[in-house]
Amino acid sequence: MDKKRQKEILILAIKAGKIMMKSGAEIYRVEDTISRICLACGIDHVNVFAMPTGIFVSINIEDEDDTVTYVKRITGSETDLRKIAEVNRFSREFTTTDLSVKDGMKMLEEIENRKPVAFPVRGLAAAVVTGCFALIFGGAIPDFFVAFVAGFGAYAFSRLLQRSEINFFIRGFLCTAFTSICALIAETLIPGVSYSFVVMGCIMLFVPGVAITNSIRDFLSGDMLSGLARLTEAFLIGISLAAGAGVVIKLWTMTGGITL
Amino acid sequence: MIVDLLIQFLLAMAGTLGFAIIFRAPLRRMPACVFIGGCGWVSYLITVNCFDSPILGCFIASCLVGLMSDIFARVLKDAATIFIIPGILCLVPGAKIFYTMEALLKEDFTGTAEIGLQMLLMAGAIAMGLLVMGAIIRVVRTAIRTFIA
Repeated sequence: MDKKRQKEILILAIKAGKIMMKSGAEIYRVEDTISRICLACGIDHVNVFAMPTGIFVSINIEDEDDTVTYVKRITGSETDLRKIAEVNRFSREFTTTDLSVKDGMKMLEEIENRKPVAFPVRGLAAAVVTGCFALIFGGAIPDFFVAFVAGFGAYAFSRLLQRSEINFFIRGFLCTAFTSICALIAETLIPGVSYSFVVMGCIMLFVPGVAITNSIRDFLSGDMLSGLARLTEAFLIGISLAAGAGVVIKLWTMTGGITL
Repeated sequence: MIVDLLIQFLLAMAGTLGFAIIFRAPLRRMPACVFIGGCGWVSYLITVNCFDSPILGCFIASCLVGLMSDIFARVLKDAATIFIIPGILCLVPGAKIFYTMEALLKEDFTGTAEIGLQMLLMAGAIAMGLLVMGAIIRVVRTAIRTFIA
Protein backbone atom coordinates (compact mmCIF):
# COMPACT_ATOMS: atom_id res chain seq x y z
CA MET A 1 0.00 0.00 0.00
CA ASP A 2 1.52 3.35 -0.96
CA LYS A 3 1.90 6.29 1.38
CA LYS A 4 -0.68 8.38 -0.47
CA ARG A 5 -3.44 5.85 0.08
CA GLN A 6 -2.48 5.42 3.74
CA LYS A 7 -2.75 9.16 4.17
CA GLU A 8 -6.17 9.24 2.48
CA ILE A 9 -7.49 6.53 4.75
CA LEU A 10 -6.15 8.31 7.81
CA ILE A 11 -7.73 11.60 6.81
CA LEU A 12 -11.07 9.89 6.20
CA ALA A 13 -11.02 8.12 9.55
CA ILE A 14 -9.93 11.26 11.42
CA LYS A 15 -12.66 13.29 9.76
CA ALA A 16 -15.30 10.81 10.90
CA GLY A 17 -13.83 10.95 14.41
CA LYS A 18 -13.69 14.73 14.41
CA ILE A 19 -17.35 15.13 13.43
CA MET A 20 -18.40 12.69 16.16
CA MET A 21 -16.26 14.30 18.85
CA LYS A 22 -17.49 17.80 17.98
CA SER A 23 -21.10 16.62 18.07
CA GLY A 24 -20.69 15.22 21.57
CA ALA A 25 -20.12 11.47 21.16
CA GLU A 26 -18.36 9.44 23.84
CA ILE A 27 -14.61 8.76 23.54
CA TYR A 28 -15.16 5.04 23.18
CA ARG A 29 -17.39 5.51 20.15
CA VAL A 30 -14.95 7.87 18.44
CA GLU A 31 -11.99 5.54 18.95
CA ASP A 32 -14.03 2.54 17.84
CA THR A 33 -15.25 4.27 14.66
CA ILE A 34 -11.75 5.35 13.66
CA SER A 35 -10.17 1.95 14.16
CA ARG A 36 -13.02 0.17 12.37
CA ILE A 37 -12.69 2.40 9.32
CA CYS A 38 -8.91 1.88 9.21
CA LEU A 39 -9.16 -1.88 9.64
CA ALA A 40 -11.80 -2.09 6.91
CA CYS A 41 -9.34 -0.45 4.51
CA GLY A 42 -6.80 -3.19 5.06
CA ILE A 43 -4.51 -1.62 7.63
CA ASP A 44 -3.02 -4.18 10.01
CA HIS A 45 -2.55 -2.28 13.24
CA VAL A 46 -4.41 0.80 14.39
CA ASN A 47 -4.07 2.61 17.68
CA VAL A 48 -6.27 5.55 18.56
CA PHE A 49 -6.10 7.85 21.51
CA ALA A 50 -8.92 10.38 21.62
CA MET A 51 -9.68 13.19 24.03
CA PRO A 52 -12.30 15.96 23.86
CA THR A 53 -9.56 18.32 22.65
CA GLY A 54 -7.68 16.14 20.22
CA ILE A 55 -7.31 12.80 18.42
CA PHE A 56 -4.09 10.85 17.85
CA VAL A 57 -4.06 7.98 15.37
CA SER A 58 -1.16 5.80 14.48
CA ILE A 59 -1.30 3.10 11.78
CA ASN A 60 1.16 0.41 10.93
CA ILE A 61 1.37 -2.02 8.04
CA GLU A 62 3.28 -5.19 8.70
CA ASP A 63 5.68 -5.35 5.77
CA GLU A 64 6.54 -1.63 5.80
CA ASP A 65 9.18 0.23 7.73
CA ASP A 66 7.36 3.35 8.79
CA THR A 67 4.49 3.94 11.15
CA VAL A 68 2.18 6.76 10.10
CA THR A 69 0.80 9.02 12.80
CA TYR A 70 -1.70 11.82 12.59
CA VAL A 71 -2.59 14.34 15.28
CA LYS A 72 -5.82 16.32 15.03
CA ARG A 73 -6.61 19.20 17.32
CA ILE A 74 -10.31 19.70 18.01
CA THR A 75 -11.69 23.05 19.03
CA GLY A 76 -15.21 23.90 20.07
CA SER A 77 -18.12 21.54 20.29
CA GLU A 78 -21.83 21.65 19.77
CA THR A 79 -24.15 18.81 20.61
CA ASP A 80 -25.67 17.46 17.43
CA LEU A 81 -27.21 14.04 17.87
CA ARG A 82 -28.13 13.69 14.23
CA LYS A 83 -24.52 13.95 13.13
CA ILE A 84 -23.54 11.24 15.62
CA ALA A 85 -26.27 8.98 14.26
CA GLU A 86 -25.27 9.64 10.67
CA VAL A 87 -21.55 9.05 11.14
CA ASN A 88 -22.47 5.91 13.05
CA ARG A 89 -24.54 4.68 10.12
CA PHE A 90 -21.78 5.75 7.72
CA SER A 91 -19.14 3.69 9.52
CA ARG A 92 -21.47 0.68 9.55
CA GLU A 93 -21.99 1.07 5.80
CA PHE A 94 -18.34 1.80 5.03
CA THR A 95 -17.04 -1.25 6.84
CA THR A 96 -19.57 -3.72 5.46
CA THR A 97 -19.67 -2.63 1.80
CA ASP A 98 -16.71 -1.82 -0.47
CA LEU A 99 -17.16 1.94 -0.71
CA SER A 100 -14.09 3.75 -2.02
CA VAL A 101 -12.22 6.23 0.19
CA LYS A 102 -13.14 9.11 -2.13
CA ASP A 103 -16.87 8.34 -1.97
CA GLY A 104 -16.60 8.00 1.79
CA MET A 105 -14.98 11.42 1.99
CA LYS A 106 -17.81 12.91 -0.05
CA MET A 107 -20.43 11.37 2.25
CA LEU A 108 -18.67 12.67 5.34
CA GLU A 109 -18.46 16.17 3.90
CA GLU A 110 -22.18 16.04 3.20
CA ILE A 111 -22.84 15.04 6.81
CA GLU A 112 -20.54 17.75 8.16
CA ASN A 113 -22.07 20.55 6.12
CA ARG A 114 -25.69 19.62 6.67
CA LYS A 115 -27.72 22.66 7.65
CA PRO A 116 -29.01 22.59 11.22
CA VAL A 117 -32.69 23.09 12.05
CA ALA A 118 -33.78 26.67 11.38
CA PHE A 119 -33.09 29.05 14.24
CA PRO A 120 -36.73 30.02 14.96
CA VAL A 121 -37.63 26.35 15.41
CA ARG A 122 -34.80 25.80 17.90
CA GLY A 123 -35.68 29.02 19.71
CA LEU A 124 -39.27 27.84 19.98
CA ALA A 125 -38.05 24.48 21.28
CA ALA A 126 -36.00 26.29 23.93
CA ALA A 127 -39.08 28.31 24.86
CA VAL A 128 -41.10 25.09 25.23
CA VAL A 129 -38.37 23.62 27.46
CA THR A 130 -38.28 26.60 29.83
CA GLY A 131 -42.06 26.94 29.88
CA CYS A 132 -42.66 23.27 30.63
CA PHE A 133 -40.04 23.12 33.35
CA ALA A 134 -41.43 26.25 34.99
CA LEU A 135 -44.73 24.34 35.23
CA ILE A 136 -43.10 21.06 36.32
CA PHE A 137 -41.32 22.76 39.22
CA GLY A 138 -44.63 24.09 40.49
CA GLY A 139 -45.22 27.34 38.61
CA ALA A 140 -48.65 28.60 37.57
CA ILE A 141 -49.95 29.46 34.11
CA PRO A 142 -48.60 33.07 34.08
CA ASP A 143 -45.14 31.67 34.90
CA PHE A 144 -45.39 29.47 31.85
CA PHE A 145 -45.88 32.39 29.50
CA VAL A 146 -43.14 34.51 31.06
CA ALA A 147 -40.74 31.56 31.00
CA PHE A 148 -41.72 30.88 27.40
CA VAL A 149 -40.75 34.38 26.30
CA ALA A 150 -37.67 34.57 28.56
CA GLY A 151 -36.52 31.14 27.30
CA PHE A 152 -36.68 32.26 23.69
CA GLY A 153 -34.73 35.41 24.54
CA ALA A 154 -32.16 33.51 26.58
CA TYR A 155 -31.59 30.98 23.80
CA ALA A 156 -31.15 33.73 21.20
CA PHE A 157 -28.75 35.52 23.57
CA SER A 158 -26.76 32.34 24.15
CA ARG A 159 -26.45 31.78 20.39
CA LEU A 160 -25.21 35.33 19.98
CA LEU A 161 -22.57 34.79 22.68
CA GLN A 162 -21.58 31.51 21.08
CA ARG A 163 -21.15 33.23 17.73
CA SER A 164 -18.87 35.82 19.35
CA GLU A 165 -16.82 32.94 20.81
CA ILE A 166 -17.40 33.81 24.45
CA ASN A 167 -16.28 30.92 26.67
CA PHE A 168 -18.86 28.63 28.26
CA PHE A 169 -18.44 29.93 31.81
CA ILE A 170 -19.18 33.55 30.93
CA ARG A 171 -21.94 32.39 28.58
CA GLY A 172 -23.77 30.50 31.32
CA PHE A 173 -23.32 33.42 33.69
CA LEU A 174 -24.65 36.03 31.27
CA CYS A 175 -27.57 33.90 30.07
CA THR A 176 -28.95 33.19 33.53
CA ALA A 177 -28.31 36.82 34.50
CA PHE A 178 -30.36 37.87 31.49
CA THR A 179 -33.25 35.54 32.35
CA SER A 180 -33.19 36.64 35.99
CA ILE A 181 -33.56 40.27 34.93
CA CYS A 182 -36.46 39.32 32.64
CA ALA A 183 -38.10 37.28 35.41
CA LEU A 184 -37.72 40.01 38.04
CA ILE A 185 -39.12 42.69 35.73
CA ALA A 186 -42.02 40.40 34.83
CA GLU A 187 -42.73 39.81 38.51
CA THR A 188 -43.04 43.54 39.17
CA LEU A 189 -45.16 44.22 36.09
CA ILE A 190 -47.43 41.17 35.86
CA PRO A 191 -49.41 40.00 38.88
CA GLY A 192 -49.30 36.27 39.66
CA VAL A 193 -45.79 35.72 38.31
CA SER A 194 -43.14 34.31 40.61
CA TYR A 195 -39.58 34.90 39.42
CA SER A 196 -38.17 31.74 40.99
CA PHE A 197 -40.07 29.33 38.73
CA VAL A 198 -39.15 31.31 35.64
CA VAL A 199 -35.46 31.29 36.59
CA MET A 200 -35.61 27.56 37.38
CA GLY A 201 -37.13 26.82 33.99
CA CYS A 202 -34.42 28.83 32.27
CA ILE A 203 -31.65 27.18 34.29
CA MET A 204 -32.86 23.82 32.95
CA LEU A 205 -32.14 25.04 29.44
CA PHE A 206 -28.44 25.53 30.18
CA VAL A 207 -27.94 22.73 32.68
CA PRO A 208 -24.86 20.58 31.90
CA GLY A 209 -26.77 17.35 31.30
CA VAL A 210 -24.78 16.42 28.22
CA ALA A 211 -21.45 16.93 30.00
CA ILE A 212 -22.55 14.79 32.97
CA THR A 213 -23.87 11.98 30.79
CA ASN A 214 -20.80 11.89 28.58
CA SER A 215 -18.36 12.05 31.46
CA ILE A 216 -20.05 9.03 33.04
CA ARG A 217 -19.99 7.08 29.83
CA ASP A 218 -16.29 7.92 29.47
CA PHE A 219 -15.54 6.74 33.00
CA LEU A 220 -17.45 3.55 32.29
CA SER A 221 -15.25 2.66 29.33
CA GLY A 222 -12.06 3.58 31.21
CA ASP A 223 -11.27 6.95 29.64
CA MET A 224 -10.51 8.62 32.94
CA LEU A 225 -8.87 11.76 31.54
CA SER A 226 -11.81 12.66 29.31
CA GLY A 227 -14.30 11.73 32.01
CA LEU A 228 -12.56 14.05 34.43
CA ALA A 229 -12.37 16.85 31.85
CA ARG A 230 -16.08 16.67 31.12
CA LEU A 231 -17.01 16.33 34.80
CA THR A 232 -15.08 19.51 35.54
CA GLU A 233 -16.88 21.20 32.68
CA ALA A 234 -20.26 20.17 34.12
CA PHE A 235 -19.29 21.45 37.56
CA LEU A 236 -18.12 24.81 36.21
CA ILE A 237 -21.27 25.27 34.12
CA GLY A 238 -23.40 24.57 37.20
CA ILE A 239 -21.50 27.19 39.20
CA SER A 240 -21.75 29.76 36.40
CA LEU A 241 -25.54 29.31 36.22
CA ALA A 242 -26.01 29.77 39.96
CA ALA A 243 -23.64 32.76 40.00
CA GLY A 244 -25.42 34.52 37.13
CA ALA A 245 -28.84 34.29 38.75
CA GLY A 246 -27.45 34.98 42.21
CA VAL A 247 -25.64 38.19 41.32
CA VAL A 248 -28.69 39.67 39.59
CA ILE A 249 -31.13 38.72 42.35
CA LYS A 250 -28.79 40.08 45.04
CA LEU A 251 -28.35 43.36 43.18
CA TRP A 252 -32.09 43.60 42.64
CA THR A 253 -32.92 43.17 46.32
CA MET A 254 -30.12 45.53 47.39
CA THR A 255 -31.18 48.34 45.08
CA GLY A 256 -34.86 47.70 45.69
CA GLY A 257 -35.52 46.89 42.04
CA ILE A 258 -37.71 48.84 39.71
CA THR A 259 -40.68 50.32 41.51
CA LEU A 260 -43.81 51.30 39.68
CA MET B 1 -52.89 11.74 41.78
CA ILE B 2 -53.21 9.90 38.48
CA VAL B 3 -54.27 13.10 36.73
CA ASP B 4 -51.31 14.95 38.25
CA LEU B 5 -48.94 12.25 37.08
CA LEU B 6 -50.44 12.34 33.61
CA ILE B 7 -49.99 16.11 33.42
CA GLN B 8 -46.39 15.79 34.64
CA PHE B 9 -45.81 13.03 32.08
CA LEU B 10 -47.08 15.23 29.23
CA LEU B 11 -45.07 18.23 30.45
CA ALA B 12 -41.90 16.15 30.73
CA MET B 13 -42.53 14.80 27.23
CA ALA B 14 -42.92 18.34 25.88
CA GLY B 15 -39.73 19.41 27.68
CA THR B 16 -37.82 16.44 26.30
CA LEU B 17 -39.13 17.23 22.83
CA GLY B 18 -37.66 20.71 23.18
CA PHE B 19 -34.28 19.30 24.24
CA ALA B 20 -34.39 16.81 21.38
CA ILE B 21 -34.90 19.64 18.89
CA ILE B 22 -32.16 21.82 20.43
CA PHE B 23 -29.69 18.93 20.38
CA ARG B 24 -30.87 18.05 16.86
CA ALA B 25 -31.94 14.49 17.45
CA PRO B 26 -32.87 12.79 14.17
CA LEU B 27 -36.55 13.38 13.40
CA ARG B 28 -37.34 9.67 13.17
CA ARG B 29 -35.94 9.05 16.66
CA MET B 30 -37.84 11.86 18.36
CA PRO B 31 -40.89 9.83 19.44
CA ALA B 32 -38.59 7.37 21.23
CA CYS B 33 -36.57 10.18 22.88
CA VAL B 34 -39.73 11.89 24.07
CA PHE B 35 -41.21 8.69 25.44
CA ILE B 36 -38.01 7.86 27.36
CA GLY B 37 -37.90 11.37 28.82
CA GLY B 38 -41.51 11.18 30.01
CA CYS B 39 -41.06 7.72 31.55
CA GLY B 40 -37.86 8.78 33.31
CA TRP B 41 -39.50 11.80 34.94
CA VAL B 42 -42.64 9.89 35.99
CA SER B 43 -40.59 7.08 37.52
CA TYR B 44 -38.65 9.76 39.43
CA LEU B 45 -41.89 11.27 40.76
CA ILE B 46 -43.29 7.88 41.76
CA THR B 47 -40.10 6.91 43.60
CA VAL B 48 -39.96 10.26 45.40
CA ASN B 49 -43.60 9.82 46.39
CA CYS B 50 -43.07 6.29 47.72
CA PHE B 51 -39.69 6.59 49.46
CA ASP B 52 -39.43 10.35 49.97
CA SER B 53 -35.89 10.46 48.63
CA PRO B 54 -35.02 12.51 45.53
CA ILE B 55 -31.60 10.87 45.42
CA LEU B 56 -33.05 7.36 45.16
CA GLY B 57 -35.56 8.76 42.65
CA CYS B 58 -32.76 10.03 40.41
CA PHE B 59 -31.00 6.69 40.66
CA ILE B 60 -34.06 4.61 39.73
CA ALA B 61 -35.09 7.00 36.96
CA SER B 62 -31.64 7.11 35.39
CA CYS B 63 -31.47 3.29 35.55
CA LEU B 64 -34.75 3.19 33.67
CA VAL B 65 -33.57 5.76 31.11
CA GLY B 66 -30.34 3.79 30.61
CA LEU B 67 -32.20 0.52 30.14
CA MET B 68 -34.83 1.94 27.77
CA SER B 69 -32.19 3.78 25.75
CA ASP B 70 -30.18 0.61 25.32
CA ILE B 71 -33.25 -1.35 24.22
CA PHE B 72 -34.28 1.35 21.74
CA ALA B 73 -30.67 1.65 20.50
CA ARG B 74 -30.56 -2.07 19.77
CA VAL B 75 -33.99 -2.28 18.19
CA LEU B 76 -33.55 0.83 16.04
CA LYS B 77 -29.79 0.24 15.41
CA ASP B 78 -28.56 3.66 16.50
CA ALA B 79 -26.14 4.98 19.09
CA ALA B 80 -27.56 4.87 22.64
CA THR B 81 -26.33 8.45 23.24
CA ILE B 82 -29.11 9.77 21.01
CA PHE B 83 -31.71 8.49 23.47
CA ILE B 84 -29.82 8.95 26.73
CA ILE B 85 -28.98 12.65 26.37
CA PRO B 86 -32.53 14.02 25.88
CA GLY B 87 -33.92 11.42 28.32
CA ILE B 88 -31.59 12.28 31.18
CA LEU B 89 -31.96 16.05 30.96
CA CYS B 90 -35.30 16.14 32.80
CA LEU B 91 -33.62 14.55 35.81
CA VAL B 92 -30.70 16.95 36.11
CA PRO B 93 -31.36 18.91 39.33
CA GLY B 94 -31.77 22.38 37.81
CA ALA B 95 -34.26 23.46 40.48
CA LYS B 96 -31.81 22.44 43.21
CA ILE B 97 -29.14 24.71 41.68
CA PHE B 98 -31.57 27.57 42.11
CA TYR B 99 -32.56 26.66 45.68
CA THR B 100 -28.89 26.32 46.69
CA MET B 101 -28.16 29.74 45.29
CA GLU B 102 -31.25 31.20 46.98
CA ALA B 103 -30.24 29.80 50.37
CA LEU B 104 -26.76 31.24 49.86
CA LEU B 105 -28.22 34.69 49.14
CA LYS B 106 -30.22 34.54 52.36
CA GLU B 107 -26.96 33.71 54.17
CA ASP B 108 -28.56 30.48 55.32
CA PHE B 109 -25.36 28.45 55.21
CA THR B 110 -26.85 25.30 56.75
CA GLY B 111 -29.52 25.33 54.06
CA THR B 112 -26.91 25.95 51.37
CA ALA B 113 -24.85 22.99 52.51
CA GLU B 114 -27.93 20.77 52.82
CA ILE B 115 -29.50 21.56 49.44
CA GLY B 116 -26.13 21.82 47.72
CA LEU B 117 -25.10 18.41 48.97
CA GLN B 118 -28.45 17.00 47.91
CA MET B 119 -27.94 18.48 44.44
CA LEU B 120 -24.46 16.95 44.13
CA LEU B 121 -25.77 13.60 45.34
CA MET B 122 -28.63 13.73 42.85
CA ALA B 123 -26.18 14.37 40.00
CA GLY B 124 -24.06 11.55 41.39
CA ALA B 125 -27.10 9.27 41.56
CA ILE B 126 -27.90 9.96 37.91
CA ALA B 127 -24.32 9.08 37.04
CA MET B 128 -24.43 6.00 39.26
CA GLY B 129 -27.68 4.82 37.67
CA LEU B 130 -26.26 5.07 34.17
CA LEU B 131 -23.04 3.36 35.27
CA VAL B 132 -24.80 0.48 37.00
CA MET B 133 -27.21 0.01 34.13
CA GLY B 134 -24.36 0.11 31.61
CA ALA B 135 -22.47 -2.52 33.59
CA ILE B 136 -25.54 -4.77 33.95
CA ILE B 137 -26.26 -4.54 30.23
CA ARG B 138 -22.67 -5.49 29.42
CA VAL B 139 -22.78 -8.47 31.76
CA VAL B 140 -26.10 -9.68 30.37
CA ARG B 141 -24.85 -9.29 26.80
CA THR B 142 -21.66 -11.20 27.51
CA ALA B 143 -23.62 -13.91 29.29
CA ILE B 144 -25.99 -14.25 26.35
CA ARG B 145 -23.09 -14.36 23.91
CA THR B 146 -21.12 -16.98 25.82
CA PHE B 147 -23.87 -19.29 26.98
CA ILE B 148 -26.51 -19.11 24.28
CA ALA B 149 -24.80 -18.28 21.01
